[in-house]
Amino acid sequence: MLRQILRILDTDAYKLRWLIFVHFFSAVLQGIAFAVLVPLLRNVFERKYEEAWSWVFAEIAILVIYSLLSYWARLTGLKISTDLVSRLWKRLGDHISILPLGWFSGGQVGQVAKLTSDGVLNVMGVSTNLLKPLMEAFVTPSVVIITMAIFDWKLALAVAATIPFIAIAYFVAEKITHKFDDQWYMASVNMSNRIVEFAQAQPILRAFNRTNNSVQHLDEALLGSRNATKKSLSNGSIGQILFLVVLQAAFTVVLFVGTSSALGANIDAPELIALLILVTRFVQPLMDAGGLGVASRVARNNLKRIEKLMATPGLPEATHPEKPKDTAIEFKNVSFGYDKKRTILKNVSFKVVPNTMTALVGASGSGKTTITRLIGRFWDVDSGTVSIGEKDVRALSSHDLMKLVSFVFQDVYLFTGTIEENIRMARPDATQDQLEYAIRAARVDEIIERLPNGLATQVGEAGGSLSGGERQRVSIARAILKDAPIILLDEATAALDAENEALVQEALSALSANRTLIVVAHRLQTIMAADQIIVLDNNAIAEKGKHHELLGSGGRYADFWREKERAKGWRIKSNAVS
Amino acid sequence: MDAVSNKTRDEKDTKLLSLKDLLELIRPFQGRMIIACILQTISAVASVVPFIAVAELSKVLLEQGPIDTNAAWKACWIAFFALIIRMATTYCAFYISHDTDNDFQLYIRRRLAKHLVKVPLGWFTNRSAGDVKKGMADDVMHIHYLIAHAALELLTAFVIPVVTIIYLISINWILSLVALFPIIIGIYMYIRQLKKGLKLMDTYTDSMGKISGAAIEFVQGISVVKTFGQTGKAYNRFLEAAENFLSVMWNMMKSTLRITSFAELLLTPLIALVTITSASIFAIQSGLMEPVAIVPFTLLGLGIAAPLLAMWYGGTALQEAAVAATKVKALLTTPVLEEVSSCNKIRGLELEFKNVSFSYDNKTNALEDVSFVLKPGTTTALVGRSGSGKSTVAKLIPRFWDPATGQILLGGVDIKEIPSTILYKHISFVFQEVQMLSATVRENITLAKPDASDEEVFKAANAANIHKRIMELPKGYDSVVGTDALFSGGEFQRLSIARALLADTPILVMDEATAFADPESEALIQDALSNLVIGRTLLVIAHRLSTIQYADTIIVLHKGKIAEQGTHTQLVSQKGKYAALWQRHERSSQWFPETRQNTNHLNPQLISK
Repeated sequence: MLRQILRILDTDAYKLRWLIFVHFFSAVLQGIAFAVLVPLLRNVFERKYEEAWSWVFAEIAILVIYSLLSYWARLTGLKISTDLVSRLWKRLGDHISILPLGWFSGGQVGQVAKLTSDGVLNVMGVSTNLLKPLMEAFVTPSVVIITMAIFDWKLALAVAATIPFIAIAYFVAEKITHKFDDQWYMASVNMSNRIVEFAQAQPILRAFNRTNNSVQHLDEALLGSRNATKKSLSNGSIGQILFLVVLQAAFTVVLFVGTSSALGANIDAPELIALLILVTRFVQPLMDAGGLGVASRVARNNLKRIEKLMATPGLPEATHPEKPKDTAIEFKNVSFGYDKKRTILKNVSFKVVPNTMTALVGASGSGKTTITRLIGRFWDVDSGTVSIGEKDVRALSSHDLMKLVSFVFQDVYLFTGTIEENIRMARPDATQDQLEYAIRAARVDEIIERLPNGLATQVGEAGGSLSGGERQRVSIARAILKDAPIILLDEATAALDAENEALVQEALSALSANRTLIVVAHRLQTIMAADQIIVLDNNAIAEKGKHHELLGSGGRYADFWREKERAKGWRIKSNAVS
Repeated sequence: MDAVSNKTRDEKDTKLLSLKDLLELIRPFQGRMIIACILQTISAVASVVPFIAVAELSKVLLEQGPIDTNAAWKACWIAFFALIIRMATTYCAFYISHDTDNDFQLYIRRRLAKHLVKVPLGWFTNRSAGDVKKGMADDVMHIHYLIAHAALELLTAFVIPVVTIIYLISINWILSLVALFPIIIGIYMYIRQLKKGLKLMDTYTDSMGKISGAAIEFVQGISVVKTFGQTGKAYNRFLEAAENFLSVMWNMMKSTLRITSFAELLLTPLIALVTITSASIFAIQSGLMEPVAIVPFTLLGLGIAAPLLAMWYGGTALQEAAVAATKVKALLTTPVLEEVSSCNKIRGLELEFKNVSFSYDNKTNALEDVSFVLKPGTTTALVGRSGSGKSTVAKLIPRFWDPATGQILLGGVDIKEIPSTILYKHISFVFQEVQMLSATVRENITLAKPDASDEEVFKAANAANIHKRIMELPKGYDSVVGTDALFSGGEFQRLSIARALLADTPILVMDEATAFADPESEALIQDALSNLVIGRTLLVIAHRLSTIQYADTIIVLHKGKIAEQGTHTQLVSQKGKYAALWQRHERSSQWFPETRQNTNHLNPQLISK
């Protein structure tokens, strides 16, 4: 764990080393202060008070140094943990910035966000809260044993002999707990999922589940979590008992060996008493060490997750970036899969002429969206090439590539901030005229007229306070302001009401003029108007051409078209067949 | 950002729950808690005994003249047995308290589940499932410290010093007071610190919330930021929030650093060591004490502070636990929908809205004086702009909320007077967002009728156009949704339609957008819906006007009121709101994106060669 932290601290690692050393030294001092009791007590029993006082002064000196060190260590510990966190954030941030865009569409976003906030803060606690007690639990007793050896090596040996047993018991206890940790973790994940389901499915559970066993699955999960905890508790406590018993045995050995040597006059009574005081004292920190194991395990797990994230390869950046000639797009024998098992695109080739519209059609999962994302280099292809203006997208700098393309997708992400800030992020140096044009063209003007704060309205966390259609229009305004020559559009406005749909369409018209447009198309009009239709089926291009050509060939597209036509004519009516 | 700080402000306003409330929560576990406490008390006393025994042993050993061997061994054995008792009782108290906490968590979660199924459905729409999870899983877990540790640690922190002090006073009371001195100051500072800490806790959780928010936004928003080439900026924003958090933290910690360090120092064994040894030697020199009496003081005096220190370290956990318990308690007292156990006879299947008004926030009315009747077997469509109240109308029927004034009557009986099990036998719904349980396909379909026969299930699935797809799965109807079978959006829709078919209620509320939820399989969903709606009383929330052209009644809502009502032909000829909407719809269904328009657009940023 410390090694990982040292690695993260990099050039500041020496500070942590210092801190560790200071904690170590403090623990040693504490051990010596206890050991000093031996001569001190002997002097008291022998009524040599002068000498006893000098030992007391020694104690006071140790106390002063210890206090100063403690204070310094606290301050430094705080500084280091602040530093550690700031570095962790920077490193994580740097790395997250270069990860392939596609990586973020997976389920890990929430987990990473949690790791970046809670996880990092947890690691922060190591240098402030964990280091000192850990050191004191292990170093102070060791020092006591070493000093004991000076006064009575036999007794020291007896104590030392118990150390391996204590250590073994400690690690066995850790291991047992660890083993059941996983089971417990799985059970609690399952419980969380069931609770989420319980909350989300509440309407259907009530409406459909009339037998009132709607909580059955949840209850099983709750019970499962209880049982897993119980199991980990009872098994974990086996380890704990073991640890306690060994500690107990160690203490007993010292007590009885000591007493019998004192009775046999093999050891000075004052010495034995002082040593017994030491031994009884050092059982305490060891008993506390059990609790520290849990805390350090949590920190260790978080560090492990952070390291795993850091190990996710980023997208390689071209060393000598090239510039594209125009906005023609070409896929040449492209194959791609999100993982080895699932191929999404197999040997796909097509060309897009600048300033034309290409419609992608096909069943869900046929790879339409993937094609648009490969153009934006959300991922790199497995084989083949994707090129823009006759240059491989991998040869472009990511900055240039992003300047070339605008995405208008269904899931719109808006940032905490005002509407204006959200639009302006597309081009921070835009003039007022350009901004106003984008706002008008995307029909955001219609939204801000209705809002009391207008453009300065806060959109709320992740854009929550605007309706779906409104958010879409803000995102289109963003894309208009960005003014990229290639537009990648996912046409799925099904959930919009009639009014918003019309407005979104107006916005899209302004966006797509004189651009190269690739549309994941659902609407018949769009498909019919396309310069090129690409029909995807079974992860490959089934057909390619214009509407009337494809319709005539009577293949996949003709089927698709027929279904669409039928859907368009659908009418709801309960008392007559439509 | 505003949302975040508002939330924390609300939290600040809520008072921590009282001890009485807490005791009420843990009442069923009181017996076991008391046993754990008794064991812990024994353990605390037993933990002092070995020290006393060693002290007595040293007295024996240091006695002038021949050593009393028996007394020495007796002391050893007492220490040994006390330690055994201590370990046994510590362990038992630990086990019992943790086991109790574990059972308590199950008990509270079950109570929560039982309670939440009775709160209005609308309560769930107002918060994310994540919030519910936080309350039911995380907050309950955080009470852990309160149940499993707090009482025991408090007892230990009380019993050990008291037993120790009593023993020490019996030897020399003046010295005992000296030994106590730093500890008393320590306790005083501890309490002060705790109070101060409570205040700072707010600032801390506040900035903690901010940094979490910034981190989440950074990670979630990065794909957008990247496509706009603004990675650096968003990143700086995150780093800024981080820096800000750290400086808040740093100032906070620094302001308490001195007092914390000082208090901690007062309670360390080292300071006890110095005080006790110097005071003892002084007392011995002054003839107030026998030299051997230094032993019990050094032995026991060093240990008084340790349990207090443990409590100190537990302070934060205790605060967290108290806050969590408060939240859980609040969750448990969420007002429930009143439920009747029996009702008047429902006469007929007519559903009527009678002067219904409803408000989400008690300020603006979402619905105002809405009245209409759904005649059995007819189709009624709700039309209007977003925010006009059409979803609200639809959601009042399955009692997501209850109307503020007015009534919704089913067969002449107010739906509030109908037990929900009977109500839902009459009314079901198909909304756009499909909810499936991670259970088998069969379980999901037969939710309303768990004892349905295979034929019934197959028939429903067939009518919903999903039977074939299910049979193609390796485990067929026994496939677990989400694990064995990954369904597309359209397939989910059809499964939910099969479920509604099997539920077979005479009244159906549906969202028309359902039919278009999956652009790839619209025709299949539509066929399924057509099968579902046959012969039922239908209320449709309409988005695409063309689909509801043939409805028996179209109700046009505007700002929560009924603006127009009639058939399609009637309304179009009225040239009112509906006619305008229809025109717009016609236009947008003709629209397609074009790349060769001549709109004047911004100076096109031509690509450099």
